[in-house]
Amino acid sequence: MKTNGLLPLILILVFSGTFLSCQDEITTTYTYRAMVPVYLEMSDVRARTIVIEPGQELENPGKIYLYGNYLLINEPQEGIHILDNSNPSSPVNLNFIPIEGNVDLTVNNNMLYADNYVDLLVFDISNIRAIKQVERVKDVFNHMYSNSDTGVILTFKDSVINSESDQPIMGGGFWAMDSFASFSANFSGAAQSYGQGGSMARFTLMSGHLYAVDNYSLRVFDVNDPAKPKHLQNIDLGWGIETIFPFKEKLFIGSNTGMHIYDASKPSNPKKMSVFQHLRACDPVVVNEKFAFVTLRNGTNCWNGVNELQVVDIENLREPKLVKAYPMLNPHGLALSGDHLYVAEGQHGLKSFNVADVMGIDQNQLEFLKSMKSVDIIPGPKSLIVIGPDGVCQFDYSTPGKLKPLSCIDVKNPVIV
Amino acid sequence: MFISQIELPLYLKMKFRLLILCFLTIHFTPSYGQEKVYYNQTELGVLYGNGADDWSGESKNRIDFSVISFHGAKISKHHVIGFSVGFDQYESLSVIPFAIGWRGFLGNESKPQLIGGFDFGGGSPLFEDKEKTDWYESWYSGGVLVSPSIGVKLPAKKGKTSLSMSLAYKRQGLGFFMGYFDRGDNPRPLASSNLPPGYSSMTETSYLFHSLVARIGLMF
Repeated sequence: MKTNGLLPLILILVFSGTFLSCQDEITTTYTYRAMVPVYLEMSDVRARTIVIEPGQELENPGKIYLYGNYLLINEPQEGIHILDNSNPSSPVNLNFIPIEGNVDLTVNNNMLYADNYVDLLVFDISNIRAIKQVERVKDVFNHMYSNSDTGVILTFKDSVINSESDQPIMGGGFWAMDSFASFSANFSGAAQSYGQGGSMARFTLMSGHLYAVDNYSLRVFDVNDPAKPKHLQNIDLGWGIETIFPFKEKLFIGSNTGMHIYDASKPSNPKKMSVFQHLRACDPVVVNEKFAFVTLRNGTNCWNGVNELQVVDIENLREPKLVKAYPMLNPHGLALSGDHLYVAEGQHGLKSFNVADVMGIDQNQLEFLKSMKSVDIIPGPKSLIVIGPDGVCQFDYSTPGKLKPLSCIDVKNPVIV
Repeated sequence: MFISQIELPLYLKMKFRLLILCFLTIHFTPSYGQEKVYYNQTELGVLYGNGADDWSGESKNRIDFSVISFHGAKISKHHVIGFSVGFDQYESLSVIPFAIGWRGFLGNESKPQLIGGFDFGGGSPLFEDKEKTDWYESWYSGGVLVSPSIGVKLPAKKGKTSLSMSLAYKRQGLGFFMGYFDRGDNPRPLASSNLPPGYSSMTETSYLFHSLVARIGLMF
C-alpha cells in the first residue's frame, strides 16, 4: 500500500493551503418593495405613437369605469383595458390602450379622457374596434414636472429591489428598510385607488365639465366640445385630496383630513361651501339627498386613522353635521343604490346595509361576503361591479340583500393577504 | 431533514444507507474474527475561523467548540469507511454535522500512525428555533459540509484503544431566511415580483464558514 503514504501528505498541502487564505463568507440578499424614482422627458413620451393592442389579461387593475355596455379598467401607469360588458355574466376582453403614466379615466359622449403623465389625452371610442387618439391637452397636470423648463417629469415606479451585501443585515437595518418600504406603499396607495363611477375616483364629469383632483388641487376643464377639453383653472384644496364625487351640482371631495363641499352650479368656477373636518384618515364619500356617507380607514398613508363609517347630515351644505359613526373593519370604497349601501371592507370582504334608518345602520346589515375582498364598487344598471385585489367581480343585485354572483375576471397575480 | 436539503446523489444515498446498516450490524454483533472490523474515533476540540468583514472592514476570529464521532468499518488494513455525527458551534449558531467519511492509515499498526480523513455531508441547525411573530418569520436552513483532515494515532501500550490528534479543515454552509409580512398595506402584488406572496420584504443570508479544527480524542 505504498500509495497510501501520499494521501495524508496531499491532504496536508490541500487544506493548509486552502485554509490560510480563507475567511468566512456571508452574502445577504435583501429584497423589498419600494417606489423607485424614474425621470422621463415629456417630449419622448409625446413622440411615441399609441397603438391599440388586442385584449390583455388584467395584471394589477386600478380604477374601473362603466360606460354603457363597456367596462373600462385601468392598469395603473400602463393603460386601459376595454371590455364588452353587455352580458355581465360573461364580459369579453376587447382591447387595451397602452398609455404610460395613466391613472384615471372618464368617458364623455364617446370621448375617453385619460391622463398621460402631465397631459390629458382624448380618444374617440365611438367605434370600439377603431379607437383613435383625437387630442392631447398638454401640460395640465404639471405638478408632475420635476423641471417644467426642460420638460422632465418625475414618476415613481413600484418595484421590487434586490440588494446584495457581504455583511449580515442586523435588527436596526430591517426596521429602517421596512419603513422605507411602507413609505413606498403610501405612494402606491395614492396612485392606485380605484374606480371612476366608484367612490374612489379622481376624475369626474358634471355639467359639461371635467373635474380632476390630484393631491392638493382641483383642475377644471370645459368639455362642452367633448373632443376638445379646455383647461380652465386649478383650485387649491390643501394637502391630501383623494376622491371626488359629484351630486346635484355639488362636488364632494374626500381628503384625508375631511370632506370638502363645492358648489358647482357655475361649472367653470366651483366655490367652496364648507369643509367637514375629521381625524386624519382616508375617506371616500357617497351622497344622497340628505346624507353623505364617508368611510374612514386606517392605512399607511392615513396613519392615526380609525376604521369607521360616518353619516353626515348635509341638508344644510354650509354646515354639515355628523349624525352617527359606525365602527368598521377597514372600509375602502362604498356605493349607494337607493336605500342600500355597499361597503368594500378591503381584505375583510364586502358588506351591504339598509340605510333607510341612518341611526340604526349597524342593526340593518344585510350581508357580509367575507370571501369577496374588495376596494371599490360601482352600482351599474345591470350589475354591481366590485373590484378587489383578486379581480373584478359582478353581482346581480336586484335583490339588494342577497347578491348573486354573475362573473369574475381574475387578475394574473392575485395578492395573498 | 438535511439529507433532502443537500440533495445527495442517489448512489451516495444508497451507499449511506448501506453503511448505516453495516455499522448497526457490526456494532451490535460481537466480533469473533481476529481482525476487529468496527472502528470508532471520537474527538473533541476547537473550531477556529476568520470571521467575515464587518461594516468597518474589520474581521474577528472565532474560536468555538467542536465534537465529532466517527463510526466505520475497516474495509482493508489501511482503510475505514463510515459516517460521522457531531456538534459544532459557530459563534451563536449550533450545528449538527452529519457526514459520510473515509479514514486512511499510514504506518505500522502497533506504532504511531498518520491518519488521513475525508468527510462529506451536511450540517443541520437543529437547535435553532424557527421564529414566527405577527410581523415576521425567520429560520435557519442547513448546508453542505466538506472536511478533509490529517492526524496521528498514538496506540496505548496495552489494549486496543489509541489516542488520536487531528487537524481538519471544515467548510460548512448555512442559510438564514427572514421575511416581513405584507400587512395589507400594499394593495397589490407586483407582476415581476421576486418577493414570495405575503411578504413585504425578505432577507436571505448564506453563510460559508471556513474553519480549522484541532481535535483530540480516542479511537478503538
